[in-house]
Amino acid sequence: MDRAAIIGVGMTKIEKSKVRETFADMAWEAVNKALADAGMSIDDIDNVVTTSSDFWDGRTISCMAVGDASGAADKNTSCVEGDGTYGAFYGYTRALSGSYKTTLVTGHSKGSQCISSLITNASFDPICERGLGMDMITACAMQANAYMNRTGLRPEDMAMVSVKNHGNALKNPMAQLPMNITVSDVIKSEMIADPLHKLDCSPVSDGCCAVIIAHESVATKFKQKPVWIRGLSLCTDSFFFGDRDLARSNALVEAAKNAYKMAGIKDPKKEIDIVELYDAFTYQELLWLEEMGLADYGKAAKLLEAGEFNINGPLPVNPSGGLLSGHPVIAAGLYRIAEVVMQLRGDAGEHQVKKAKTGIAHGVNGLCGQSHCVWILDKER
Amino acid sequence: MAEYWGVKVEDIFNSMQERFRPEGAKDVDSLFGYDIKDEGKWKLTVKDNKMTIEKTDDLTGCIATMKADGETFVGVNTGNVDATNAFMGGRVIVDGDMGAFGKTGKLFRKFVIAQKEMTTKDYLADMFATIVPRFKANEAEEGLDVSFAYDLGGPDGGKWTVFIKDKKCTITTTIEGKPTVTLEFNDARDYVDFILGKIDAQSLMASGKAGAKGDLNMMATKWPILFEKYKDPMAGNVPQQELIVLKKIISLNEKFSTGPVMGKFLKGLKEQKIYANKCPQCGRMQLPPREVCADCRVRVDEFLEVGPKGEVRYMDIIYYAMPDPLTGQVRETPYGGINILFDGCKGNETLPHFIRKDQIEKIQMGWNEKKGTRVRPVWEENRIGDIWDIKYFEIDE
Repeated sequence: MDRAAIIGVGMTKIEKSKVRETFADMAWEAVNKALADAGMSIDDIDNVVTTSSDFWDGRTISCMAVGDASGAADKNTSCVEGDGTYGAFYGYTRALSGSYKTTLVTGHSKGSQCISSLITNASFDPICERGLGMDMITACAMQANAYMNRTGLRPEDMAMVSVKNHGNALKNPMAQLPMNITVSDVIKSEMIADPLHKLDCSPVSDGCCAVIIAHESVATKFKQKPVWIRGLSLCTDSFFFGDRDLARSNALVEAAKNAYKMAGIKDPKKEIDIVELYDAFTYQELLWLEEMGLADYGKAAKLLEAGEFNINGPLPVNPSGGLLSGHPVIAAGLYRIAEVVMQLRGDAGEHQVKKAKTGIAHGVNGLCGQSHCVWILDKER
Repeated sequence: MAEYWGVKVEDIFNSMQERFRPEGAKDVDSLFGYDIKDEGKWKLTVKDNKMTIEKTDDLTGCIATMKADGETFVGVNTGNVDATNAFMGGRVIVDGDMGAFGKTGKLFRKFVIAQKEMTTKDYLADMFATIVPRFKANEAEEGLDVSFAYDLGGPDGGKWTVFIKDKKCTITTTIEGKPTVTLEFNDARDYVDFILGKIDAQSLMASGKAGAKGDLNMMATKWPILFEKYKDPMAGNVPQQELIVLKKIISLNEKFSTGPVMGKFLKGLKEQKIYANKCPQCGRMQLPPREVCADCRVRVDEFLEVGPKGEVRYMDIIYYAMPDPLTGQVRETPYGGINILFDGCKGNETLPHFIRKDQIEKIQMGWNEKKGTRVRPVWEENRIGDIWDIKYFEIDE
């Protein structure tokens, strides 16, 4: 099978409200940074995949909001609706197709321009469930309860994720919410939907991220060291909660298994050096780690407490601060890819982890993690 | 023209128009004179919430005239000379109606020496210096007697107490007596950012960078009424850009076919019946019923009546005010969402709904190895074939 690599990444700072910028402004910045990172010009890009959501953008064919700034004119351009990792998945398949050598992938959103609960409510089935008025937070609170009920996880255990990730963000200049907090700060923060306190939830954010994927035949032609895509899988669970076990994530188990297999990874606990995952809520970091096979079910909190997932621990998880420190919906997963790429290259700056050869970037779409995309990236080919 | 602290006397007058606060000029209808030794004379006219300033030798008609030398005048305006001391020491003289001249203190924002940035120290000085002029005495209710103390840490920090008594506002640079509330910031820089709207109080408090002792609620409710909002003087040093943000409501009328499957479920609700459908291949029940099995991808045609009683599988209590998508109104909180496993279903075959408001605290979640609280539906009298034909679920006792 042909190989592909990521040869350039760029991201805007994640902010609460980029009221002075449009989608195009954000894409302009992220794309320029990615091109500069790769040592390319826009003419070196064969095709463009944008990732966006019409509801979040408030317009249909929302990719057109960033097409100009992404240099899509006269190129094959396509839009993926979902997380940025899904857009990148498509970009990867294009790079492998033989038709394109280099794909520019962008992901953008401005949560500040929307009422997020109404938009996530609109992702429920319109005939029966939407009218009940649930949204992402209420649904995830239910999942958190189910997970806690099953594993005995306590609110204090989840809170440690918030403490770690907000603390990591202190060293990441792109993060929105760097904070030096304690478990008791999390527990004392406003209760949003039991058991999720305000500091258990990721914020509303604006941001854009861009990555450039290249076929192996051109991956070393440009200035930047390529980071190789070793394994990749995207799996989806059933849509209705009544069709799945909310306390587990079968889709992630499958996605991780497939990605490890493709990468030839036998023991992920030993072979993975760094993880950037989709911690939209504190409990999700633990649940996702377990379903990825990086901890036993119900046991991630113990490892977290022991410092295993700290930035200087044996398996750093979300050294960037994760989604809890900035959650531009859609772009968030692409930020995970860009972060892992920088870590593997040794370019992560102050939040650089010590040893990083192989890393996981993870994206989620849908209510309570309905679908998952797992990327195994490697410094070596 | 002599310069003091890099500022000319003229600069103070020339910037008056820009620094003018119409809200401070209510009920002022007067001429004021300024006679600055060796520099010249200026006449300030304030009328109808507007002002003009002119350099003139004719100060007739002025209700009061301030006399000072250039250095003192610039010093007082830039905060380099203490105004009270200058007045008491005779370096500033006011001829005419002293009381009327006092009103000029509220007419202008502070003059800021043009510089790239204001330091935390500059901001703190300005923020506390403007508290008394920003006080709206007529908003203070009769008998209001409160004090707000500030204990700001860090290299630029300090202590202040703002007293409000007998409709008057005073400030000290100590913490005195027993303040109604004391705000504590580990670093004064955070206080400055908070006042400038760069950080919200909640995250500062949550992260332990700030705290409050005493009746914070009193301050939170009273302060915005009693004081004009602080204006960033630096905002006047750069040309103000208008931020055009368009607010739009996108409203798309949609019709959704319910189809024969969901349609049967909705019709069932009208008749106080709950229908699930059963996959011929895996035997799983789907609720609400759907056309195709989500696991097996086969058509599902067999309908079975389940419930209407069942047990709670998933539960959460919602505390934040989310707009109800049906009405746009913000719901009353807290309320409780549940997923119900109806009698006749197993595993995860659940349906979401809500629990009776006064029972949210009493619900226990269950799963395959543990029973959840038993619940029953409470039906709407006039049912139309909608999920809200069930008002809510209540404990089945």
